Amino acid sequence: MNFFQSQDAARHNTTKLVIFFILAVVSMIILANLLVMFVFGYIDSQTETPQPFNWDVFMTVGVGVLALVTMGSLYRIITLSGGGARIAELMNGKLIVNDSGDADQQRILNVVEEMAIAAGVPVPPVYLLDEMAINAFAAGYSPSDAVIGVTRGAIKQLSRDELQGVIAHEFSHILNGDMRLNIRLIGILHGILLLGLVGYSILRLSPRSRNSKGSGGVMFLGLGLVVIGYAGTFFGNLIKAAVSRQREYLADAAAVQFTRNPEGIGGALIRIGAGEKGAILDNPNSAEISHAFFCQGIASSFGSVFATHPPLDQRIGRILPTWDGKFIARPHVAQAPTVTSGSKASQNKKKMAMMAAGAAVLSKDELLRHIGNPGPAHLGYAKQLIMDLPTDIKRAAHDPHGARALVYCLVLDSKVDERQKQLHYLKTAADVGVYAEVIKLAQGVLKLNIEQRLPLVDIALGTLRQLSLPQYQVFKKNLTGLIQADGKINLFEWSLQKIVFHHLNGIFDKKAKGQNKEPSLKRTKEASTILLSFLVSALKQNGVSRQEAFAAAQQEMAWLKTELLERDTFNLDELDSALDDLAGLKPRFKSILLKGCAAIVSADQNVSIAEIELLRAIADTLDCPMPPLIS
Amino acid sequence: MTISTIVLLVIVAAVGLWAVSIFNGLVRLRNRYKNAFAQIEVQLKRRYDLIPNLVETAKAYMKHEAETLEAVIAARNAAAKGLSSVAADPSNAGAIAELAGAEGALTGAMGKFSMVMEAYPDLKANQNMMQLSEELTSTENKVAFSRQAFNDQVMAYNTFKQAFPAVIMAAMFGHGQDATLLEFEDSAQIQAAPKVSF
Repeated sequence: MNFFQSQDAARHNTTKLVIFFILAVVSMIILANLLVMFVFGYIDSQTETPQPFNWDVFMTVGVGVLALVTMGSLYRIITLSGGGARIAELMNGKLIVNDSGDADQQRILNVVEEMAIAAGVPVPPVYLLDEMAINAFAAGYSPSDAVIGVTRGAIKQLSRDELQGVIAHEFSHILNGDMRLNIRLIGILHGILLLGLVGYSILRLSPRSRNSKGSGGVMFLGLGLVVIGYAGTFFGNLIKAAVSRQREYLADAAAVQFTRNPEGIGGALIRIGAGEKGAILDNPNSAEISHAFFCQGIASSFGSVFATHPPLDQRIGRILPTWDGKFIARPHVAQAPTVTSGSKASQNKKKMAMMAAGAAVLSKDELLRHIGNPGPAHLGYAKQLIMDLPTDIKRAAHDPHGARALVYCLVLDSKVDERQKQLHYLKTAADVGVYAEVIKLAQGVLKLNIEQRLPLVDIALGTLRQLSLPQYQVFKKNLTGLIQADGKINLFEWSLQKIVFHHLNGIFDKKAKGQNKEPSLKRTKEASTILLSFLVSALKQNGVSRQEAFAAAQQEMAWLKTELLERDTFNLDELDSALDDLAGLKPRFKSILLKGCAAIVSADQNVSIAEIELLRAIADTLDCPMPPLIS
Repeated sequence: MTISTIVLLVIVAAVGLWAVSIFNGLVRLRNRYKNAFAQIEVQLKRRYDLIPNLVETAKAYMKHEAETLEAVIAARNAAAKGLSSVAADPSNAGAIAELAGAEGALTGAMGKFSMVMEAYPDLKANQNMMQLSEELTSTENKVAFSRQAFNDQVMAYNTFKQAFPAVIMAAMFGHGQDATLLEFEDSAQIQAAPKVSF
C-alpha cells in the first residue's frame, strides 16, 4: 500500500466509522424512546389510560439524545484537535530540549531527527513521560503539528536500534494519517459514552423515597440510559479496537520496511514482554489515547476483544518469524552497532555525495514512489546529512533564538547589493541579538549545499514551535519583510516561505487550522492550471518548449483540459491560495496532481536538485511529505 | 416533565463538559509554561559552564584581583543552585525569586569583572578570552529570548486563570497561585551584559 492509498484507507475507515456512528445514534434514539414510552407507560398504567404514539415525545427524546451525543463528540474532537502538543501536555509530558546534557535524551532526539529528515517532515518535538514502562506515542492532526512521546523506561532500557524501530513505528502512524483517524475515534466514542454518564448521574441524583411513583420511573430512565450508553460504548470500543489493531500491524510492517531491521522493533517488543512493568502506564489519561501508543498501554479487563493492540507474541511473530516465543531480553549490543554504522557511514559518504549531487535521470513515477514511504537508504542519507552539517549551524537550528536567525539567513540573497538591502531591513526590524546572530551565521549558510537547506528548515521548524505567540508574530513579520526587502521574490524564497508558514500557521494561528475543505471541481481545475503553469514558467526544461512541458502534465491529468497560463496572468498570491485549496484534495487526487508536477519537472529527462527541492516544497504544502531524493 | 427533564439533562451535561474543559485547559497551560523553562535552563547552564572557563583564563593575567574572581565564582555557584531548584519546579514562586536575585548578583559581579579587565590589555587581546566572551554574549541573548517565551506562556496561563469562566473554578482545581514571571533585576543590563568591551 503506498502513501496515497494508505491515506485514502484511513479516510475510508473514517467514513465507515461515521456510518456506524450514525447507525448507533439512530438505534440509541429508538431505544431511548422505547425506554421513555415504557417508563411513562409504566406510570400511566396506574391510571389505566392507554398511551397513543406521541410524535412530540419522540422528537423531544430524539433531539435530546442527538444533542448529547453530538455535544460530547464535538467537545472531545475539539479538545484533541488542538495539535499533538496539547495531548502531550495533558499527559504531563516534559519537552526534551537539545543539549540538555543527558545522553539518553540526546539519543532519542537524534533518532527522531534522522527519521524526520529521512521522511521529509518537520522534526516533531519529543516529550518525555515520567513512567518506567516502555512505551511511546505519536499525536497530532498532521505532520506539521505532530509530536512524539516516549517514556523514561523506553529511552533508558532500549538500545538505539530498538528505539529506532519504535520511532519508525510511530512515524508510520504520522505518515499514514492514523492520528486523524484516532482523534475522530476518540471523539465519537466519547459522545456515546456521555449518554451512559448522564444515565449514571440520574441514577445517583434521583430521589430515593420509595413511596414516590415518579422516582421509580426516573430511576428506571437512568438505568436504561446507562445500559444504552454503555452498550453503545461497548460496541464502539469493539470497532475502535478492531480498526486500531489492523493499523498497528501496518505500522509494524512499515517500521521494518523503513529501517530494514526487524531486530530493532522486534527486540523492543521482546523487551516489553520481558520487563516487569511491560508497557502499562500509570497515568489515568492514558486510557483515552490508548490506541495511539506503541504497545497496549492499559490493562484491559475484557482481555483481547478490547485490546487496541494485537498481542505481543503475534506482533513479534510477524516481525521475527524465527522467534522462539521466549521473552528474554537480549543483552545490549548498543555500542557495537553505532561504531560500525559510523565507519560504514564514512564509507558511504562518497557514494551519498555522488548520489545527491549528480543530476539524476528519473521517471516521474520514481519521483513519487517514496512519498510518505521512506526506506533505509533515506535513513542512512539523513544520518549522513545531519553529520555533515557545520556544527554552529546545526546548533543554531536547535535553539529557538538561533533557528530564527537561520531561517532569515536562508533567504539572504547571494548578490552583495541585494543582500545589503535585506541586512539593512533586518537591522532596523529585528532586535540586536538576532541581527548579530544572522551576521555570524550568514557566511556558513551561503556555503551550504542546496540539498542541505530543506532538511535544515525541517530541523528549525521543530525548534520554532517553541516560540511564544508574540514571538512568532514578530518572526512572521520579519521573514515576510526580509523576503520582500529586495523587491523581488525568487523560487527558493517563495517555497521556503510557503513551507515555514504552512507548518507554523497551523500551530500558532487557531483560525488557519483545519480549513482545508475539498475544493470544487471547477476550482480544482483552475488551481491546478495555475500551479502547473507556474512550474512550467519557473523551471526551464532543456530542449522542451513550455507548451510541450505543459502537455506532458496534461497527459497525467486527463480531466485538465485547459490552456497554459502565461506567467504574467497570475500573481504569487493567487498561486498561494491555489496551493492552499489544493491541499484539501483527496489523497488520490493529490497523487495525480503530483504526477502532473513530476511530469513537468522531468520533461527534459533530467532532474536537477533545484527542481527536486521545488517539487518537495510543493508536495510538502500539499501534506504529502517527500523524502530527499537518492537514486 | 419529559421535555424539561431532557433540557435539564442537556444543560447539566454541558456544564460538566465545560468544567472539564477548564480543568484541562489549566493543566495544559501550566505544563506549557513549565516546558518553556527547559530552554532557559539549557542556556543558563551553558552560561554557568562558560564562566569558570573565563575566570580560569583570566587568572593567569589578573594575579592581584583574586577577590573579584572569587566573587564571580561565588555568584555563579549561587545562581547555579537557584537554577536547579527552579528547574525542579518552575511554578515555585520562591525559587524563581531566588534565581532572579542570584542572577542579578552574578550580573553585578560580571560587570565588576569586565571593569577590572579594562586594566589588562593583554588579557583583552587573548584569543581564548575573546572567544569565550563572544560566546557568553550570544548565550545572554538566548537567555533573554527564552525568558521572553517563558514569560509569555506564564502570562497566557495567568490570563486564562484570571479570566471569567476559569476564575470561579481555578482555586478549586488546585490552581490558586498565579505563576511567577522570571524577571531579572536589571533586564536591560542583562541584554548587554557582560559587556566585555574590546
